[in-house]
Amino acid sequence: MDENKSRMKCARCNVELVPAKAHFSYLGHMFHTEVQRCPECGQVFIPESLASGRMTEVETSIEDK
Amino acid sequence: MDKIIRETYSVCPVCGAQIMAQLICTDGCVYMQKRCAEHGDFSTIVWKNNYDLISWYGNVEPISDWKCLYCPRCMEAGLCTNHLNDTCCVLFEVTSRCNLRCKFCFADNHQDIEDLSVNELRIRMYSFVKPGRTLIQLSGGEPTVRDDLPEIVKCAVDLGCRYVQLNSNAIRLAEDEDYVRRLAEAGLSFVFMQFDGMNDDIYIKLCGRLLLNIKKKAIENCAKYGIGVTLVPTVVPGVNTEDIGNILRFAVYSSPAVRGVHFQPVTYMGRIPFVPDDSLRCTLDELIAIIVSQSCGLVMAENLQPSRCDHPLCGFHGDFVVQKDGKLFPLTQKRGDAECCCGSESPAVRNREFVGRRWKRVAGHEAASCCCYQAEKDGDMTDIDYFLDRVKKFGFTITSMAFQDAENIDLERLRMCSLHVYDFKSGKLVPFCAHYLTLRK
Repeated sequence: MDENKSRMKCARCNVELVPAKAHFSYLGHMFHTEVQRCPECGQVFIPESLASGRMTEVETSIEDK
Repeated sequence: MDKIIRETYSVCPVCGAQIMAQLICTDGCVYMQKRCAEHGDFSTIVWKNNYDLISWYGNVEPISDWKCLYCPRCMEAGLCTNHLNDTCCVLFEVTSRCNLRCKFCFADNHQDIEDLSVNELRIRMYSFVKPGRTLIQLSGGEPTVRDDLPEIVKCAVDLGCRYVQLNSNAIRLAEDEDYVRRLAEAGLSFVFMQFDGMNDDIYIKLCGRLLLNIKKKAIENCAKYGIGVTLVPTVVPGVNTEDIGNILRFAVYSSPAVRGVHFQPVTYMGRIPFVPDDSLRCTLDELIAIIVSQSCGLVMAENLQPSRCDHPLCGFHGDFVVQKDGKLFPLTQKRGDAECCCGSESPAVRNREFVGRRWKRVAGHEAASCCCYQAEKDGDMTDIDYFLDRVKKFGFTITSMAFQDAENIDLERLRMCSLHVYDFKSGKLVPFCAHYLTLRK
């Protein structure tokens, strides 16, 4: 993926990414959030801010004591 | 037919000598049976088979080498090299004085001991506080009888305590709002509030006076200054076991001011009115069955799981989020160790962060409403942003810690204890149930 925030393109398909809902699960819980997705190949772009930010927060929140 | 469930070690409740013990299933219940050569046979109920005890144990290893077992000599010597757990919380008695005289009290402090000064307490705290890590429980006696408690809180914060918890009967927190404000400003993280029921007959029986409205006022005052409150009922058969569902519903209704309920089945240590028979004990499995039954669908048994920090027989926990309609969204569920996601942190560290995260309120939400359930439509708990917002503000725990006394103490459990008491005589940390162990008179 070519991380240009204004017009991000899929490096493989060379088409612009479009907003799409992505689902992920952790410890038996399902969550969704909006990410950028390639309309051709279906790959999604997970920015670092999501991976190390909100997704990590979710993991910490539901981790057992 | 009798069946041996576990071989372990205990103490003679008369002389305190370390003796062998067995957990034996007979007539549908599990009993600890032990024999002291000098004082005879003892038997105490430990499980009532509402749930399978073997499954509850999980993969915890039984004691294999009793020669390495120094428990409970740690009463004088502190944690030994064979102790299996780190310190999760340190209980620190800041006074022996109390403004109540409850029927049951693990501390049963001597009222005539003079309080140490703040500076003397600072020196003691310095010896065990690990900056950025320690969760200190200010206890007593009743800590709020001290006018200088806010200074003690500030002192603990300045020394680097990660969380400062106050164990309190709530009387002063209700009657002295400015005192609550000063505690909040000093950096108090949360309050463990003795809360035994939703009717005053219970308080008359257990504490000798009407206290329900006082507790409610104290919750209100803590909410005003953003101090999270966890309700702590002592569960006494025949006194408040029928009120457990009411306590839970009140706690949920009072979220986010109330962060959870922490049940403590009655333990016969400290101030012991009598040597109990089995009908006067509430076992962990019985407590779960009561919670599930009286909560009328609010809580399911599978959402209350054995402690993963201390020994499984020492407690359970359930992690929830209070939803807008007043229902509980469960986060805790049974899973195998292979699914554990917690990296290399010790169980005590994980536990400390878990309780700190849940019991402390999120800054800036002091005025969040607590009584608007029925009108609001619930949000989407699978939406990451909604979930994170909701869990931070309305996280809710149902936990229990089953302390041990001279009748039922199990050294397999004691060696896994993570709740340690600072012993002022030796200057060492001692497992809670060893520190307060009280032999028959």
